[in-house]
Amino acid sequence: MDSLAAGLPLLDLRSSGTPAVTSVDPDHELAERFRAGDRPAFDLLVRRHQKGMWRLILRYVKRDADAADVTQLAFVRAFRGLATFRGTATVRSWLYRIAINCALSWLRDHRREQPAEIAEDALTEDNPAPAQLSADDDRAWLRQAIEQLPPKQKLVLELRVFDDLSFREVAELAECSENTAKVNFHYAVKRLRDILGGDHEP
Amino acid sequence: MSRDPGEAPASEHDAEPDLDLLAAYVDGVAELSPDERHRVAARLARDPAARADQAAVHSLLDQLRALPPEGAEPDWAAMERSIRGAVGPGVPRPWWRRWTVLAPAMMLATAAAVMLVMWARPAPAPVAALDERPRGHPTATAEPQAAEVVALWLDGAEVDVELSASDLLGADGDGDDDATAADAGTEPGLLPSTNLAWIDGLDEDAIDRAEQWLAGKNG
Repeated sequence: MDSLAAGLPLLDLRSSGTPAVTSVDPDHELAERFRAGDRPAFDLLVRRHQKGMWRLILRYVKRDADAADVTQLAFVRAFRGLATFRGTATVRSWLYRIAINCALSWLRDHRREQPAEIAEDALTEDNPAPAQLSADDDRAWLRQAIEQLPPKQKLVLELRVFDDLSFREVAELAECSENTAKVNFHYAVKRLRDILGGDHEP
Repeated sequence: MSRDPGEAPASEHDAEPDLDLLAAYVDGVAELSPDERHRVAARLARDPAARADQAAVHSLLDQLRALPPEGAEPDWAAMERSIRGAVGPGVPRPWWRRWTVLAPAMMLATAAAVMLVMWARPAPAPVAALDERPRGHPTATAEPQAAEVVALWLDGAEVDVELSASDLLGADGDGDDDATAADAGTEPGLLPSTNLAWIDGLDEDAIDRAEQWLAGKNG
């Protein structure tokens, strides 16, 4: 977790110069309505994305209540910035960028308040062998394996697998090319298989 | 392609030049370009180990997606209300359309325009020039003081003569001649010239006396 906060800079919210994706973005109409003065359009965006943003933020801050607070903060920032949103990315990836930035800021502000067990879980290097774990522990072992990935590979893997983002959206959030996102995804999966060992081979 | 610390080392890329998109191929083949798809498919067709990797990647991704979400979800309706209360009822304008920005900008622009107009206006005539004019002739202040060129015809030849304002207005500069002064009755002893009908009423004696007076005056 600390490695995430230290290894990833705050993402740039400015336009990346990529072509507009408004034609394929289902949230674009809501953003346009909001900019035209339709205040309830923002409530629909909140309803549509609050769960995804909360899950994304929870992976950083680890505690439910903190994730809820940071999610609310992220939506307030989105509300203030939506009027200047230029549609060069999807609204969802734009919202997720804000969420990640808010989560990283929160981690920096609360670094010393993190409970010891969470920090140890996130930074542990000597995980038990898969054979020593029961079937019930399998999920926990899988999560611990994800935590051992390098920050960029972890980010790409989680955005793709847990947030169901396209590689283009993953690339926007990871601030890399789409091809780099795909390659990072491959090596994240490969490294995960190496960590998990032969028990997870089909 | 630049790499950061989180990316795979170069040796890994070099070891699998055709397979570095395998996971993306497995997870979202539609998001690969035709060239990328063809490259991975060709490798899978000729390499049984690559096909085994493809199955293992598929299995692992299924396991990852089957993980239950972490944490206890909050009350979403309460979160919506909280966000709605935090942002308020209105829609924010972009900073360049806010009155707090527009009003000072317009005031500055107006002030700049006024200063520009004042700076560009010609300087007024010196006050000292007015003070040199004769007192008691306020109407003359509006008259031009510059010399005026008048064309005179003398024996068929055109001659330009510069006349000053005082020449044009008269010796005293007010434009009146003596007759006008007499009309006003300001010189005692002179007869009024405005109405000469009284001359017709003079008898012969009076005319004779007047002629004698004039002859004596001229002689």
